[in-house]
Amino acid sequence: MAAPGALWLGVFFLVSFYAVIAVAFGNEDLLSQPVPFWNPLDWNVGYVLDVLRNFWHGGQFLTVTLRTFKFVAIALGLSLLVGYPVAYFAARHSGRWKGLVLLALIVPFWINYLMRMLAWINLLAPNGWGTRVLHDVGIERLFIWLGLLGNPGGWLDGQSSAVIIAFVYGYIPFLILPLFAALDRIDQRQIEAARDLGASPASAFLRVTLPLSVPGILAGCVLIALPMFGDYYTPDLVSASTQTNLIGNQIDEFTRQGSEKVTGAVLTLLLALALLVLMFYYLRTTRRASEVHSGG
Amino acid sequence: MEHPRERSGLTRRRLLRRAAGSAVGLSAAGFLAGCENTTEPIGNAGGPTGAAAKLVVQKPTGPGGLPLPRPDNAVTWAITPENRPIPDGRPAEKGPLNLYNYADYIDPITIKKFSKLFNTSVSVATYNSADEAIAKLASGAVGFDVIVGLTGSNIVNLIAQSLLQPLNHSYLPNLAKNIWPELQDPFYDRGSRYTVPYVVWMDGIGWRNDHIKTDIAAMDVPWDIFWHSQPYRGRVGVLDDKRDALSMPMQRDAMHAGVRPDLNTEDAALIDKAEQELAELNGICNVKVTITDYQTLPEAKTVLHHSWSGDLLSAAFYYLPKGVKPDVLSFWGPDQNGVVQNDFLCIGRSSKNPVLAHQFLNFMLDEQNAYANFVNFVGYTPPQNAIDAEALIRRGLIPRTLTQAVVRPDQFASNQELLQLSIEGERLWDNAWSKFKAG
Repeated sequence: MAAPGALWLGVFFLVSFYAVIAVAFGNEDLLSQPVPFWNPLDWNVGYVLDVLRNFWHGGQFLTVTLRTFKFVAIALGLSLLVGYPVAYFAARHSGRWKGLVLLALIVPFWINYLMRMLAWINLLAPNGWGTRVLHDVGIERLFIWLGLLGNPGGWLDGQSSAVIIAFVYGYIPFLILPLFAALDRIDQRQIEAARDLGASPASAFLRVTLPLSVPGILAGCVLIALPMFGDYYTPDLVSASTQTNLIGNQIDEFTRQGSEKVTGAVLTLLLALALLVLMFYYLRTTRRASEVHSGG
Repeated sequence: MEHPRERSGLTRRRLLRRAAGSAVGLSAAGFLAGCENTTEPIGNAGGPTGAAAKLVVQKPTGPGGLPLPRPDNAVTWAITPENRPIPDGRPAEKGPLNLYNYADYIDPITIKKFSKLFNTSVSVATYNSADEAIAKLASGAVGFDVIVGLTGSNIVNLIAQSLLQPLNHSYLPNLAKNIWPELQDPFYDRGSRYTVPYVVWMDGIGWRNDHIKTDIAAMDVPWDIFWHSQPYRGRVGVLDDKRDALSMPMQRDAMHAGVRPDLNTEDAALIDKAEQELAELNGICNVKVTITDYQTLPEAKTVLHHSWSGDLLSAAFYYLPKGVKPDVLSFWGPDQNGVVQNDFLCIGRSSKNPVLAHQFLNFMLDEQNAYANFVNFVGYTPPQNAIDAEALIRRGLIPRTLTQAVVRPDQFASNQELLQLSIEGERLWDNAWSKFKAG
């Protein structure tokens, strides 16, 4: 039964991931083309050490990595802030409109990610409709006051806030869906029991609903954090400033445009390792949660 | 200058290979302890070695020790017995002609005209970068007849891997008839043995003169405008290309000092200085790094941009929003000591239609075809004797503010091209660029 899954994993993950490892521990020829070293006995750690040295000495790779973690953390926080109430409403209060509400949330995301981003570029242009609305409803003033926007109408002037907002907009449905599923699964009777035992609505939410939705929160966060960490086209499209350059942009630069594809592979490998750590944390937490749940 | 050198002697890698034969098992720590630790590329760059190396001023060399062409080091590529030009007077093959090109870099109507004229069909495959194109050509997976868009920086790699077929000029009368003399005999391919020019462009400053009132072209050092661009914060861009962008502050410094810069330098100090100066723009104007100025300038999303001249012409030809007149766009490019580039057309070594391919080259060197391809689609100037800015202004195609975006032959001769560097040189530029882009 596991054969198709194993085949999928083997072909699309293990082999390709090993190719990245073989390039990262390989070398390049005089045409700057990567020469993978497939045999671990041959591995060359020169490029890996170069990149690690750059991190250790606080070079550009450390700068963009810290920036990437910061952007993703803020985008995750904002996504939860927006996505949780939406998923909560859809799961618990939309009644027979549940399907329709869900569909309404998902429909815009049938359009390709790049197309949606390109649309936002026009909407957020100095004289774009979006810019005018944000100005009229006072959001622009709020952002300027918070120091998140340089000048009126300057959403595309290379702002960190624009990249973070684009991340939130671009990835939020992938947070809402697992959250919705988790919230929808919660047995209504458990909440009623909490209320019967004297809990206020807020207390019932904090002590019953929220803890029971943690696996959904984590699943959603992992789902959207992973692509955000490797994203390079969103900052390119909505900002293109050096101040919003992320680790994905550096990888893109080295693998696609630069002459050092091996360095690009090393960065890819290090990013994958960092994400693996997060992934293991997620798996451990969800396993523990399900053990507690089934045990209780 | 250092050369990549062949690793010799018994390396740790070879030791490991031997050890692996006899050892039953090695721990992971053992693996790493025995791993190679080098960023020295694989291969032999050649060139004089030992005592002989001290007798010459070293010129940068590329793969296989081939010389890297420079204006003061022009290269004539040999024609070898196993790779000779086609004989004279052959009839054209039936095709179809396989063209390998950047996307949207040749007018489909021009291609249709060729197909009709020679009673054939043309199939176009596209690539995204020169690296990708060369890798695919080298793989031999597809035999392309004509390759469009590679430059003098790529020629060493092309020759080193024997990917091109030498040209027979008897099929190319338009080369001598129509093309600028200096590009009939370029330093990267003396005698045009393997290539003929396609289009030319230069690096300069594109700006919206309705937003910026400073007469940039009249400044002593026009590049300084970028370092005084605080009023346009967020709407200023530099080219997203390491060589073009980093050579801009180099040009500015040289202009201040009244000297000619070496824009193909491999001097780490000069490259670092350029990076630091370029990074100043982060604080001054939160500079954008893009190559979409052909769109953002007409739409006023950017108002000042480090630009390729052809992009300003494209902007005026096709990208102006309704109601915006082309004379809001201005371009300045240096008369000397700046960056000019050209790309070329060439024939693949494994071409199955070499006569037809020659005819395509000659067709593209024709004045009318080159002109139509330029103004109707590509926007980059072909180096044709008959095409100049005044002719375009007279025909109402461009405003006078874009006169300088049409590169002149004298300008082309007095500026310099960005050319292939040695591996070490490339790495210095790559590293500086990565630092700059990290902000």
